[in-house]
Amino acid sequence: MSRKRTWFVVILLISSILLQACGDSTPTTASTSATTAASGAAATTAAGGAAATTAAGGAATTAAAAASSGATLPNGVTLPADAAPADQQVYLYHYDSTSDFTTIDFFESVYKRGGAISDILSDSLVRLDKNFKVQPGAATKWSVDSTGLVWTFQLDPKLVWTDGTPVTADDYVATFRYGADPKHAWDFTWFFGGVIKNWDEAVAGKVALDQLGVTAVDANTLSVTTVSPAPYLPAMMLYSNPFQKKSLEAKGGLYNSNPATSVSSGPFVLKEWTKGTRLVYEANPKYGGTNKPFIQKIIVIGAAPSTDFASYQANEIDFVVGSNLSPADNQIILSDPKLQKESHPQPNDFRTDYFFFDTKNPPFNNIKVRQAISHVVDRDALIQQIIKPTQGIPAYSFLMPGFPASNSAGLKSIQNYDLAVAKRLMAEAGFPDGKGFPKVTLWLRNEAPVRQAVAQAIAASIKQNLGIEVEVSNKENKTFTDAMNAKPTQITFGMVSYGMDFLDPYNMLSVWLGGGRHNWNNDTFDGMVKKAASFTGDPAQRVQMFQEAEKLLVTEVPGVFIYHRYQSDLYKPYLKGTELEADANGVAAIHWPGYSTYNNVIGSMYISKDVASFNRKIPK
Amino acid sequence: MVRYLIGRIIGLIIVLLIVSILAFLLMHSVPGGPFDEEKSPLPPAAKANILAKYGLDKPLHEQYLLYMANAIRGDFGISFQSPTETVIDLIARAWPVSIQLGGLAILLAFSTGLICGIVAAVKQNTWIDYVVTFISTLGITVPSFVIAIWLLLIFSVQLGWFPTGGWPAGGEDWNTMVLPVITLALGPSALVARYTRSSMVEVIRSEYIRTARAKGLSTNLVIMRHALKNALIPLITILAPQIPNLITGTIFVEVIFRVPGLGKFFVSSIYLRDYPMIMATMLLVAFLWSITYLLSDILYTVVDPRIRLQA
Repeated sequence: MSRKRTWFVVILLISSILLQACGDSTPTTASTSATTAASGAAATTAAGGAAATTAAGGAATTAAAAASSGATLPNGVTLPADAAPADQQVYLYHYDSTSDFTTIDFFESVYKRGGAISDILSDSLVRLDKNFKVQPGAATKWSVDSTGLVWTFQLDPKLVWTDGTPVTADDYVATFRYGADPKHAWDFTWFFGGVIKNWDEAVAGKVALDQLGVTAVDANTLSVTTVSPAPYLPAMMLYSNPFQKKSLEAKGGLYNSNPATSVSSGPFVLKEWTKGTRLVYEANPKYGGTNKPFIQKIIVIGAAPSTDFASYQANEIDFVVGSNLSPADNQIILSDPKLQKESHPQPNDFRTDYFFFDTKNPPFNNIKVRQAISHVVDRDALIQQIIKPTQGIPAYSFLMPGFPASNSAGLKSIQNYDLAVAKRLMAEAGFPDGKGFPKVTLWLRNEAPVRQAVAQAIAASIKQNLGIEVEVSNKENKTFTDAMNAKPTQITFGMVSYGMDFLDPYNMLSVWLGGGRHNWNNDTFDGMVKKAASFTGDPAQRVQMFQEAEKLLVTEVPGVFIYHRYQSDLYKPYLKGTELEADANGVAAIHWPGYSTYNNVIGSMYISKDVASFNRKIPK
Repeated sequence: MVRYLIGRIIGLIIVLLIVSILAFLLMHSVPGGPFDEEKSPLPPAAKANILAKYGLDKPLHEQYLLYMANAIRGDFGISFQSPTETVIDLIARAWPVSIQLGGLAILLAFSTGLICGIVAAVKQNTWIDYVVTFISTLGITVPSFVIAIWLLLIFSVQLGWFPTGGWPAGGEDWNTMVLPVITLALGPSALVARYTRSSMVEVIRSEYIRTARAKGLSTNLVIMRHALKNALIPLITILAPQIPNLITGTIFVEVIFRVPGLGKFFVSSIYLRDYPMIMATMLLVAFLWSITYLLSDILYTVVDPRIRLQA
């Protein structure tokens, strides 16, 4: 009897613990408004209707569309004729739930935005169109004075924060000061370093923040002073999404992590952020800017990148970023005509994968050794057999075709695949057939399997043709980055990639400047790049100056260029919009930069009526 | 018994101390830090500021003592991954989800495992036994990530019965729970079935079972009252360690099925050098394991009165 009672107590205890666990499990979700719930319900009904017989589904959609056609949505847009009803204008997107995701603001952190949709709660000064041409954003116009140093941006007076106060030049000034504040220690300070006057000095704590070259002339006029003439400054201002000065000062740089404290002057407002699970944005009814979106709601869900393809096929998301597709996924896409049409190759951030050397120490301080290695890389074979033509093109130089000043064809012969030349150079360097050459380790930065395979293939070619033992070692991200940035560098031989931050050759080439990322110093190169960067004359001449600098870079071989990445994103055929149509390079894709860095939501994009034939599931 | 318990609890505290020192030394000896630069180095002045802000500029032993002094007062710091909440808040948000998932998986694993194991033992060497043995061997040997992908492809992508992920706590439907719970339960369930079967088979052959049968008890009564209870002892040894494993979340099942639990933090806090979170997760796991072993030792005395705990 007593033993029975003990059992009873044990079972009771266990079940009470479990029950308690269930009870406590509701997370501290930010309050989702009644409208969210209502529109969710409506969406579910609509989807349900569509999932019934085609005829009935079609009829239901037409009726709903008729009801909303011509109607103005809360943010002031009128949907195109072939658009699905307003409650279907929801964009479903995944971010990597294992990534570092603490902010949706560029000036808080660039690398802790989780690859989620961010920076849509305020407008940057400029935007880029699909051909990468600079367009007005928060600034309606801008000009530079005769010295080429002082830029004046006129702000759009119609921009307001959701608390009713206007967006002013002071908001931008406060944001830039926050970026340069040594107490903030922003992870992207280098970006404006050497460009904005007193930026580096402020970051180093040598001058006060009010000495920074970003000042308010009046409420709607912002002035930016540069160190030397910088014709690329407007393009850089793609990254100028401001904080609200008042909130930044009162609550700090993380005020947008909670809908209760969030304030927006951008196309969207933050409705919900359930940490680790999802973010919900809704179109901002008070948005006064020029980028009003058709999309009324964005749901950004945290997920493992490896499951994106499954979720996409189950109609749970509208878009999969190409880098999240495995080689097996890509094989399935290639063999399925329907999926193939939904695949959109694009150059993304014009990324180049390359080998780099510690050029100041043996054994790679000998240029002939570096040249020899550049000639044993059979790029064409790598693309065909490992990388696959939809995922990349061969690189013999640094700037990818389509990127300003790219000169791929002109530089191809310098690092071309030529085994005979490679062997001769190795002998000339004093290491015939690799005799006397030490064993080296090739460091990789937490690379995907495909690039591990590329590195292994090249290592095998180096061993076979040059007689050098190369051990490939895929390092964990932070270990690699620490060793690369160490002064002096701790990596003798490594593979890494670089993609642009803004569309100017200066940005890409500056990574090779002395004292920067790599242990290679060439004063001639530095001089050429800096001179071209601040050259304000004929743009064609500026391009030529950069091309000469790149030629020197390729010739001196501080890096061996391997391939330029292509990214083939998947998106559903019901995503339509002018910005999704082919650009000047013939690329039809949701491509960089939308209207800011990680942003894949473009103003002109909408969900068309075709969505009715998909059993699309919109979460509550 | 009381003296025994006091001894065990002192032991537990020593274990936690040793774990905290080891974890602290190991995480600081790994190259890289939480505020490393991705592209270009920060000026030393700015870098020093941020290190000072988090107390990372102090000597290691000072950092450790400070951490422990705060931890004893219940302050485990602020996670670098989620700077708007404390480590305690973060665990309070994520852990219940993992307990929920793990708890359901344990319930499912134990119930199906016990039933299958008993049936297999009673019907020893029949086709039922062979089927159960085959499935449970499969359940033990096929890793959960393979099972997860199979279930996803079949039930979400092909049949569309269940969502590919989510969790009710994240505002999704209850049916999001089905696939992760099954995935997580399959391995332990197979383990339970295997051990129940083998220890039942052994017990069924013993003399007292023969006596029970001889005095005319029904088969069901013999199995449930006499055989099963004695067969449970080895099961406790095998299964107790499964519990902390299951309720602290398994990184893979949680990440694949978008369950917002604690599992991913075990890995992400190491990748991101999130020192406060590394310490908290390590201490939590050490504590749970110690407690589980203590509880299972106590449970032995309940199941088998011949066992006495002595200091």
